[in-house]
Amino acid sequence: MVLELKIDREACIGSGNCVFWAPNTFDLDDEGTSIVINPEGDPDDAIMNAVDGCPTSAISAQPSE
Amino acid sequence: MATGTEQPIPALEPFDSMGQFTDTVAGDVRDPYPRLAEKRRESPAERTHLPNAIGEPVETFIVYTYDLVSKLLRDNTTFSSGAIRELMGVVMGPYVLVGMDEPEHGRHRRLVSHAFRQKALARWEGELVGQVVGELIDRFAGRGSAELVREFTFQFPVQVIAEILGIPRRDNEQFHQWAIDIINVAANPERGIAASEAFRDYLSDIVEQRRAHPSDDVISDLVTAEMDGATLGDEEIYSFLRLLLPAGAETTYRATGNFLYGLFTNPEQLAALRADRSLMPQAVEESIRWESPLLITSRAALTDTELGGVEVPAGMPVVAHVGSANHDESRWDHPDDFDIHRPTKPHIAFGVGPHMCLGMHLARMEMRSAVEALLDRFDDLRLDPDVDDPHIHGERFRSPTSLPVLFTPA
Repeated sequence: MVLELKIDREACIGSGNCVFWAPNTFDLDDEGTSIVINPEGDPDDAIMNAVDGCPTSAISAQPSE
Repeated sequence: MATGTEQPIPALEPFDSMGQFTDTVAGDVRDPYPRLAEKRRESPAERTHLPNAIGEPVETFIVYTYDLVSKLLRDNTTFSSGAIRELMGVVMGPYVLVGMDEPEHGRHRRLVSHAFRQKALARWEGELVGQVVGELIDRFAGRGSAELVREFTFQFPVQVIAEILGIPRRDNEQFHQWAIDIINVAANPERGIAASEAFRDYLSDIVEQRRAHPSDDVISDLVTAEMDGATLGDEEIYSFLRLLLPAGAETTYRATGNFLYGLFTNPEQLAALRADRSLMPQAVEESIRWESPLLITSRAALTDTELGGVEVPAGMPVVAHVGSANHDESRWDHPDDFDIHRPTKPHIAFGVGPHMCLGMHLARMEMRSAVEALLDRFDDLRLDPDVDDPHIHGERFRSPTSLPVLFTPA
Protein backbone atom coordinates (compact mmCIF):
# COMPACT_ATOMS: atom_id res chain seq x y z
CA MET A 1 0.00 0.00 0.00
CA VAL A 2 1.34 3.42 -0.93
CA LEU A 3 0.81 6.00 1.79
CA GLU A 4 0.23 9.64 1.01
CA LEU A 5 2.41 11.44 3.53
CA LYS A 6 1.93 15.08 4.48
CA ILE A 7 4.10 17.13 6.82
CA ASP A 8 2.83 20.16 8.69
CA ARG A 9 5.92 22.34 8.47
CA GLU A 10 4.59 24.74 11.09
CA ALA A 11 4.10 21.96 13.63
CA CYS A 12 7.40 20.16 12.89
CA ILE A 13 10.10 20.88 15.49
CA GLY A 14 12.84 18.97 13.67
CA SER A 15 13.21 16.31 16.36
CA GLY A 16 14.42 13.84 13.72
CA ASN A 17 12.36 11.06 15.24
CA CYS A 18 10.75 10.31 11.85
CA VAL A 19 14.23 9.87 10.37
CA PHE A 20 15.05 7.48 13.21
CA TRP A 21 12.00 5.28 12.55
CA ALA A 22 11.94 5.48 8.74
CA PRO A 23 15.33 6.72 7.50
CA ASN A 24 14.68 5.96 3.83
CA THR A 25 11.38 7.83 3.82
CA PHE A 26 12.10 11.02 5.76
CA ASP A 27 14.98 13.45 6.07
CA LEU A 28 15.51 16.90 7.55
CA ASP A 29 16.02 19.82 5.15
CA ASP A 30 18.51 22.65 5.65
CA GLU A 31 16.10 24.40 7.99
CA GLY A 32 15.83 21.27 10.11
CA THR A 33 12.25 20.56 9.03
CA SER A 34 11.08 17.10 8.01
CA ILE A 35 10.66 16.27 4.32
CA VAL A 36 9.53 13.11 2.53
CA ILE A 37 12.32 11.79 0.33
CA ASN A 38 10.57 8.58 -0.74
CA PRO A 39 7.01 7.71 0.33
CA GLU A 40 7.80 4.02 -0.21
CA GLY A 41 11.27 4.13 1.33
CA ASP A 42 10.46 1.88 4.28
CA PRO A 43 7.92 -0.81 5.21
CA ASP A 44 4.50 0.54 6.18
CA ASP A 45 4.92 -0.37 9.85
CA ALA A 46 8.15 1.65 10.04
CA ILE A 47 6.44 4.63 8.40
CA MET A 48 3.52 4.32 10.80
CA ASN A 49 5.99 4.30 13.72
CA ALA A 50 7.33 7.59 12.36
CA VAL A 51 3.79 9.00 12.22
CA ASP A 52 2.93 7.67 15.68
CA GLY A 53 6.26 8.74 17.15
CA CYS A 54 6.28 12.31 15.84
CA PRO A 55 6.34 14.42 19.01
CA THR A 56 4.10 17.14 17.55
CA SER A 57 1.84 14.94 15.38
CA ALA A 58 3.15 16.81 12.33
CA ILE A 59 2.96 13.83 9.93
CA SER A 60 -0.27 12.50 8.44
CA ALA A 61 -0.54 9.32 6.41
CA GLN A 62 -3.49 8.38 4.19
CA PRO A 63 -3.74 5.38 1.88
CA SER A 64 -3.53 6.65 -1.71
CA GLU A 65 -4.61 5.13 -5.02
CA MET B 1 44.47 -13.02 35.82
CA ALA B 2 45.72 -9.48 36.27
CA THR B 3 48.17 -8.11 33.74
CA GLY B 4 50.44 -5.10 33.55
CA THR B 5 47.67 -2.97 32.06
CA GLU B 6 45.61 -3.17 35.22
CA GLN B 7 44.79 0.18 36.74
CA PRO B 8 43.31 1.02 40.11
CA ILE B 9 39.60 1.70 40.40
CA PRO B 10 39.05 5.44 39.87
CA ALA B 11 38.70 7.83 42.78
CA LEU B 12 35.58 7.23 44.80
CA GLU B 13 34.44 10.81 45.30
CA PRO B 14 32.00 10.99 42.36
CA PHE B 15 30.64 7.55 43.11
CA ASP B 16 30.01 8.31 46.78
CA SER B 17 28.12 11.40 45.75
CA MET B 18 26.18 9.33 43.29
CA GLY B 19 25.19 6.95 46.06
CA GLN B 20 23.87 9.82 48.09
CA PHE B 21 22.13 11.21 45.04
CA THR B 22 20.49 7.89 44.28
CA ASP B 23 19.22 7.40 47.82
CA THR B 24 17.82 10.88 48.25
CA VAL B 25 16.34 11.57 44.84
CA ALA B 26 15.75 8.26 43.15
CA GLY B 27 14.10 6.64 46.14
CA ASP B 28 14.78 3.09 47.24
CA VAL B 29 11.98 1.40 45.35
CA ARG B 30 12.87 -1.87 43.72
CA ASP B 31 9.84 -2.72 41.62
CA PRO B 32 7.24 0.02 41.18
CA TYR B 33 5.55 -1.73 38.26
CA PRO B 34 2.93 -3.87 40.07
CA ARG B 35 1.62 -0.75 41.83
CA LEU B 36 1.61 1.15 38.52
CA ALA B 37 -0.30 -1.68 36.80
CA GLU B 38 -2.92 -1.40 39.53
CA LYS B 39 -3.12 2.35 38.95
CA ARG B 40 -3.63 1.85 35.20
CA ARG B 41 -6.47 -0.58 36.00
CA GLU B 42 -8.14 1.21 38.90
CA SER B 43 -7.46 4.94 38.45
CA PRO B 44 -5.65 5.77 35.18
CA ALA B 45 -6.24 9.47 35.89
CA GLU B 46 -6.55 10.68 39.48
CA ARG B 47 -6.18 13.57 41.83
CA THR B 48 -4.06 12.71 44.83
CA HIS B 49 -1.79 14.37 47.35
CA LEU B 50 1.94 14.22 46.62
CA PRO B 51 4.80 15.84 48.52
CA ASN B 52 6.22 18.93 46.80
CA ALA B 53 9.89 19.95 46.74
CA ILE B 54 9.87 20.78 50.46
CA GLY B 55 7.83 17.78 51.53
CA GLU B 56 4.40 19.40 51.90
CA PRO B 57 1.45 17.45 50.49
CA VAL B 58 -0.04 19.22 47.47
CA GLU B 59 -3.07 18.11 45.48
CA THR B 60 -1.75 16.85 42.15
CA PHE B 61 -3.31 15.41 39.01
CA ILE B 62 -1.52 12.32 37.69
CA VAL B 63 -2.01 10.09 34.64
CA TYR B 64 -0.69 6.55 34.16
CA THR B 65 -1.72 5.12 30.77
CA TYR B 66 0.14 5.54 27.48
CA ASP B 67 -2.75 7.35 25.78
CA LEU B 68 -3.34 9.81 28.62
CA VAL B 69 0.36 10.54 29.16
CA SER B 70 0.81 11.07 25.43
CA LYS B 71 -2.24 13.33 25.20
CA LEU B 72 -1.11 15.38 28.19
CA LEU B 73 2.47 15.92 27.00
CA ARG B 74 1.37 16.80 23.46
CA ASP B 75 -1.08 19.44 24.72
CA ASN B 76 1.26 22.20 25.77
CA THR B 77 -1.39 24.89 25.43
CA THR B 78 -3.42 23.41 28.30
CA PHE B 79 -0.51 22.04 30.32
CA SER B 80 2.39 24.40 30.97
CA SER B 81 6.02 23.51 31.63
CA GLY B 82 6.41 26.66 33.71
CA ALA B 83 6.34 24.69 36.97
CA ILE B 84 9.69 23.15 36.01
CA ARG B 85 11.14 26.63 35.64
CA GLU B 86 10.05 27.42 39.19
CA LEU B 87 11.67 24.25 40.49
CA MET B 88 14.88 24.19 38.44
CA GLY B 89 15.30 27.92 37.84
CA VAL B 90 16.95 28.15 41.24
CA VAL B 91 19.95 26.22 39.95
CA MET B 92 19.65 26.41 36.17
CA GLY B 93 18.74 30.08 35.87
CA PRO B 94 15.64 31.84 34.53
CA TYR B 95 16.04 30.76 30.91
CA VAL B 96 15.91 26.99 31.35
CA LEU B 97 14.60 25.33 28.19
CA VAL B 98 12.60 22.57 29.91
CA GLY B 99 10.64 25.23 31.82
CA MET B 100 9.58 27.31 28.79
CA ASP B 101 6.28 27.33 26.91
CA GLU B 102 5.71 28.26 23.26
CA PRO B 103 6.70 30.32 21.41
CA GLU B 104 9.68 31.07 23.67
CA HIS B 105 10.61 27.38 23.96
CA GLY B 106 10.75 26.71 20.21
CA ARG B 107 12.84 29.81 19.52
CA HIS B 108 15.39 28.78 22.12
CA ARG B 109 15.40 25.11 21.20
CA ARG B 110 16.17 25.91 17.57
CA LEU B 111 19.41 27.62 18.64
CA VAL B 112 20.95 24.30 19.68
CA SER B 113 18.82 21.60 18.03
CA HIS B 114 21.03 21.15 14.97
CA ALA B 115 23.97 20.07 17.15
CA PHE B 116 21.91 17.10 18.40
CA ARG B 117 20.64 15.82 15.04
CA GLN B 118 21.63 12.36 13.93
CA LYS B 119 23.81 13.59 11.07
CA ALA B 120 25.61 16.13 13.25
CA LEU B 121 26.28 13.44 15.85
CA ALA B 122 27.80 10.95 13.42
CA ARG B 123 31.22 12.57 13.64
CA TRP B 124 31.26 12.16 17.42
CA GLU B 125 30.62 8.41 17.39
CA GLY B 126 34.09 7.19 16.52
CA GLU B 127 36.34 10.09 17.40
CA LEU B 128 34.74 10.88 20.75
CA VAL B 129 32.42 8.17 22.14
CA GLY B 130 34.56 5.31 20.84
CA GLN B 131 37.67 6.89 22.29
CA VAL B 132 36.15 7.67 25.70
CA VAL B 133 34.64 4.21 26.22
CA GLY B 134 37.81 2.56 24.90
CA GLU B 135 39.96 4.39 27.44
CA LEU B 136 37.65 3.35 30.27
CA ILE B 137 37.62 -0.29 29.17
CA ASP B 138 41.44 -0.28 28.95
CA ARG B 139 41.61 0.49 32.65
CA PHE B 140 39.92 -2.74 33.71
CA ALA B 141 40.32 -5.02 30.70
CA GLY B 142 43.31 -6.84 32.19
CA ARG B 143 41.71 -7.45 35.55
CA GLY B 144 39.08 -10.06 34.68
CA SER B 145 36.48 -8.31 36.80
CA ALA B 146 34.96 -4.85 37.06
CA GLU B 147 32.10 -2.90 38.54
CA LEU B 148 30.58 -1.39 35.43
CA VAL B 149 28.42 1.28 37.06
CA ARG B 150 31.33 2.85 38.90
CA GLU B 151 34.01 2.22 36.30
CA PHE B 152 32.08 2.57 33.05
CA THR B 153 28.45 3.71 32.79
CA PHE B 154 28.84 6.51 35.33
CA GLN B 155 32.04 7.72 33.69
CA PHE B 156 31.53 8.08 29.97
CA PRO B 157 28.38 10.16 29.28
CA VAL B 158 29.60 13.20 31.21
CA GLN B 159 32.83 13.23 29.21
CA VAL B 160 30.91 12.95 25.94
CA ILE B 161 28.44 15.76 26.65
CA ALA B 162 31.23 18.00 27.95
CA GLU B 163 33.17 17.67 24.71
CA ILE B 164 30.07 18.33 22.58
CA LEU B 165 29.22 21.40 24.63
CA GLY B 166 32.83 22.62 24.49
CA ILE B 167 33.94 22.10 28.09
CA PRO B 168 37.41 20.59 28.60
CA ARG B 169 37.04 16.87 29.29
CA ARG B 170 39.92 16.86 31.79
CA ASP B 171 37.72 18.63 34.35
CA ASN B 172 34.98 15.99 34.13
CA GLU B 173 35.10 14.87 37.77
CA GLN B 174 34.53 18.42 38.95
CA PHE B 175 31.59 19.20 36.71
CA HIS B 176 30.08 15.78 37.20
CA GLN B 177 29.87 16.69 40.87
CA TRP B 178 28.20 19.98 39.96
CA ALA B 179 25.79 18.17 37.65
CA ILE B 180 24.73 15.83 40.46
CA ASP B 181 24.31 18.66 42.96
CA ILE B 182 22.26 20.70 40.46
CA ILE B 183 19.84 17.84 39.74
CA ASN B 184 19.67 17.06 43.44
CA VAL B 185 18.59 20.59 44.42
CA ALA B 186 15.21 19.55 45.84
CA ALA B 187 16.89 17.28 48.37
CA ASN B 188 19.79 19.58 49.18
CA PRO B 189 19.16 23.21 48.17
CA GLU B 190 22.38 24.64 49.66
CA ARG B 191 24.57 22.23 47.75
CA GLY B 192 22.59 22.71 44.56
CA ILE B 193 22.85 26.48 44.67
CA ALA B 194 26.57 26.38 45.54
CA ALA B 195 27.21 24.04 42.61
CA SER B 196 25.20 26.23 40.29
CA GLU B 197 27.26 29.29 41.22
CA ALA B 198 30.57 27.45 41.00
CA PHE B 199 29.66 26.03 37.58
CA ARG B 200 28.61 29.48 36.38
CA ASP B 201 31.97 30.95 37.40
CA TYR B 202 33.79 28.09 35.69
CA LEU B 203 31.78 28.63 32.51
CA SER B 204 32.29 32.38 32.37
CA ASP B 205 35.93 32.05 31.27
CA ILE B 206 35.04 29.50 28.60
CA VAL B 207 32.18 31.64 27.28
CA GLU B 208 34.53 34.62 27.01
CA GLN B 209 37.11 32.53 25.17
CA ARG B 210 34.52 31.34 22.64
CA ARG B 211 33.27 34.87 22.07
CA ALA B 212 36.80 35.79 21.06
CA HIS B 213 37.52 32.55 19.16
CA PRO B 214 34.40 30.59 18.15
CA SER B 215 34.93 26.86 17.64
CA ASP B 216 32.58 24.08 16.46
CA ASP B 217 30.95 23.29 19.79
CA VAL B 218 27.60 24.15 21.37
CA ILE B 219 29.01 27.01 23.46
CA SER B 220 30.25 28.63 20.25
CA ASP B 221 26.79 28.16 18.71
CA LEU B 222 25.27 29.91 21.71
CA VAL B 223 27.65 32.88 21.80
CA THR B 224 27.20 33.52 18.07
CA ALA B 225 23.43 32.83 17.95
CA GLU B 226 21.02 35.66 17.29
CA MET B 227 17.40 35.85 18.34
CA ASP B 228 15.31 38.81 17.21
CA GLY B 229 18.48 40.46 15.97
CA ALA B 230 20.30 40.29 19.31
CA THR B 231 22.86 37.85 20.66
CA LEU B 232 22.08 35.86 23.79
CA GLY B 233 22.91 37.30 27.18
CA ASP B 234 25.28 35.54 29.54
CA GLU B 235 22.47 34.34 31.80
CA GLU B 236 20.68 32.72 28.87
CA ILE B 237 23.86 30.90 27.88
CA TYR B 238 24.51 29.73 31.44
CA SER B 239 20.94 28.45 31.69
CA PHE B 240 21.42 26.34 28.58
CA LEU B 241 24.67 24.85 29.81
CA ARG B 242 23.48 24.21 33.36
CA LEU B 243 20.61 22.21 31.87
CA LEU B 244 22.43 20.37 29.08
CA LEU B 245 25.36 19.12 31.14
CA PRO B 246 23.28 17.32 33.81
CA ALA B 247 20.72 16.23 31.23
CA GLY B 248 23.42 14.63 29.12
CA ALA B 249 25.35 13.16 32.02
CA GLU B 250 22.71 11.65 34.28
CA THR B 251 20.06 10.04 32.13
CA THR B 252 22.45 8.29 29.75
CA TYR B 253 24.47 6.65 32.51
CA ARG B 254 21.26 5.31 34.03
CA ALA B 255 19.87 4.10 30.70
CA THR B 256 23.11 2.35 29.76
CA GLY B 257 23.20 0.59 33.14
CA ASN B 258 19.62 -0.57 32.70
CA PHE B 259 20.41 -1.85 29.19
CA LEU B 260 23.37 -3.88 30.46
CA TYR B 261 21.34 -5.21 33.38
CA GLY B 262 18.60 -6.35 30.98
CA LEU B 263 21.15 -8.18 28.85
CA PHE B 264 23.05 -9.77 31.76
CA THR B 265 19.88 -11.06 33.38
CA ASN B 266 18.59 -12.43 30.06
CA PRO B 267 21.67 -14.30 28.78
CA GLU B 268 19.84 -15.81 25.79
CA GLN B 269 19.07 -12.28 24.56
CA LEU B 270 22.65 -11.19 25.15
CA ALA B 271 23.77 -14.18 23.05
CA ALA B 272 21.29 -13.28 20.31
CA LEU B 273 22.57 -9.71 20.23
CA ARG B 274 26.17 -10.92 20.08
CA ALA B 275 25.31 -13.17 17.17
CA ASP B 276 23.33 -10.52 15.28
CA ARG B 277 24.43 -6.96 15.95
CA SER B 278 21.72 -5.64 13.63
CA LEU B 279 19.40 -6.19 16.62
CA MET B 280 21.21 -3.39 18.48
CA PRO B 281 18.86 -0.46 17.66
CA GLN B 282 15.73 -2.35 18.70
CA ALA B 283 17.51 -3.67 21.79
CA VAL B 284 18.37 -0.11 22.81
CA GLU B 285 14.74 1.00 22.32
CA GLU B 286 13.42 -1.98 24.28
CA SER B 287 15.74 -1.30 27.19
CA ILE B 288 14.68 2.36 27.42
CA ARG B 289 11.02 1.32 27.29
CA TRP B 290 11.47 -1.47 29.83
CA GLU B 291 13.43 0.53 32.40
CA SER B 292 13.16 4.21 31.58
CA PRO B 293 15.80 6.21 33.48
CA LEU B 294 13.37 9.00 34.33
CA LEU B 295 9.89 7.86 35.36
CA ILE B 296 7.88 11.06 35.74
CA THR B 297 7.69 14.57 34.35
CA SER B 298 5.70 17.56 35.59
CA ARG B 299 3.36 20.18 34.14
CA ALA B 300 0.69 22.53 35.50
CA ALA B 301 -2.83 23.15 34.15
CA LEU B 302 -3.13 26.62 32.61
CA THR B 303 -6.93 26.55 32.42
CA ASP B 304 -9.75 24.53 33.96
CA THR B 305 -9.75 21.30 31.98
CA GLU B 306 -10.59 17.60 32.02
CA LEU B 307 -8.51 14.58 31.15
CA GLY B 308 -9.39 10.90 31.49
CA GLY B 309 -12.76 11.83 32.99
CA VAL B 310 -11.21 13.80 35.86
CA GLU B 311 -11.63 17.56 36.27
CA VAL B 312 -8.39 19.51 36.58
CA PRO B 313 -8.64 23.09 37.84
CA ALA B 314 -6.33 25.81 36.53
CA GLY B 315 -3.09 25.96 38.42
CA MET B 316 -3.08 22.37 39.64
CA PRO B 317 0.27 20.53 39.44
CA VAL B 318 0.15 17.71 36.90
CA VAL B 319 2.34 14.61 36.68
CA ALA B 320 2.76 12.43 33.58
CA HIS B 321 3.90 8.96 34.66
CA VAL B 322 6.15 8.08 31.75
CA GLY B 323 7.38 4.87 33.38
CA SER B 324 3.83 3.60 33.77
CA ALA B 325 2.94 4.60 30.20
CA ASN B 326 5.85 2.50 28.92
CA HIS B 327 4.42 -0.56 30.69
CA ASP B 328 0.87 -0.11 29.39
CA GLU B 329 -0.45 -3.59 28.60
CA SER B 330 -2.84 -2.19 26.00
CA ARG B 331 0.23 -1.27 23.91
CA TRP B 332 2.80 -3.97 24.80
CA ASP B 333 2.24 -7.66 25.61
CA HIS B 334 3.92 -8.73 28.86
CA PRO B 335 5.16 -5.15 29.35
CA ASP B 336 7.26 -5.96 32.43
CA ASP B 337 9.43 -8.39 30.42
CA PHE B 338 12.65 -7.28 28.73
CA ASP B 339 12.35 -8.66 25.19
CA ILE B 340 14.61 -7.31 22.45
CA HIS B 341 12.70 -9.36 19.90
CA ARG B 342 9.32 -7.71 20.43
CA PRO B 343 7.92 -5.61 17.56
CA THR B 344 9.35 -2.14 18.01
CA LYS B 345 7.01 0.80 18.36
CA PRO B 346 7.43 4.27 19.82
CA HIS B 347 7.69 4.48 23.60
CA ILE B 348 7.57 7.63 25.65
CA ALA B 349 10.82 7.42 27.64
CA PHE B 350 12.13 10.54 25.87
CA GLY B 351 8.79 12.24 26.48
CA VAL B 352 6.66 13.45 23.58
CA GLY B 353 5.31 16.81 22.45
CA PRO B 354 7.41 19.91 21.76
CA HIS B 355 9.70 19.20 24.75
CA MET B 356 10.65 15.70 23.57
CA CYS B 357 14.23 15.01 24.60
CA LEU B 358 16.67 17.09 22.58
CA GLY B 359 19.43 14.56 23.29
CA MET B 360 17.59 11.38 22.30
CA HIS B 361 19.74 10.63 19.26
CA LEU B 362 22.89 11.23 21.28
CA ALA B 363 21.63 8.95 24.06
CA ARG B 364 20.80 6.19 21.58
CA MET B 365 24.19 6.48 19.90
CA GLU B 366 26.08 6.46 23.21
CA MET B 367 24.21 3.42 24.51
CA ARG B 368 24.80 1.52 21.29
CA SER B 369 28.48 2.44 21.08
CA ALA B 370 29.19 1.68 24.74
CA VAL B 371 27.59 -1.77 24.65
CA GLU B 372 29.14 -2.57 21.25
CA ALA B 373 32.56 -1.73 22.68
CA LEU B 374 32.07 -4.07 25.65
CA LEU B 375 30.83 -6.92 23.45
CA ASP B 376 33.71 -6.39 21.02
CA ARG B 377 36.32 -6.57 23.77
CA PHE B 378 34.99 -9.42 25.93
CA ASP B 379 33.51 -12.71 24.66
CA ASP B 380 32.23 -13.89 28.03
CA LEU B 381 31.09 -10.77 29.86
CA ARG B 382 28.63 -11.79 32.63
CA LEU B 383 27.38 -10.77 36.07
CA ASP B 384 29.51 -12.08 38.94
CA PRO B 385 27.25 -14.66 40.65
CA ASP B 386 29.07 -14.27 43.97
CA VAL B 387 28.31 -10.58 44.46
CA ASP B 388 25.14 -9.81 46.38
CA ASP B 389 22.01 -8.95 44.56
CA PRO B 390 22.63 -6.16 42.06
CA HIS B 391 19.25 -4.77 41.01
CA ILE B 392 17.59 -1.78 39.39
CA HIS B 393 15.98 0.58 41.86
CA GLY B 394 14.39 4.02 42.13
CA GLU B 395 10.95 5.60 42.11
CA ARG B 396 11.72 8.73 40.05
CA PHE B 397 15.07 7.85 38.48
CA ARG B 398 15.99 4.22 37.85
CA SER B 399 19.32 2.49 37.39
CA PRO B 400 21.21 -0.52 38.75
CA THR B 401 22.82 -0.37 42.19
CA SER B 402 25.93 -1.98 40.70
CA LEU B 403 27.00 -4.19 37.80
CA PRO B 404 29.76 -6.51 39.09
CA VAL B 405 31.02 -8.46 36.07
CA LEU B 406 33.52 -11.19 35.25
CA PHE B 407 35.30 -11.81 31.95
CA THR B 408 38.44 -13.36 30.49
CA PRO B 409 41.07 -10.59 30.61
CA ALA B 410 41.57 -9.03 27.20
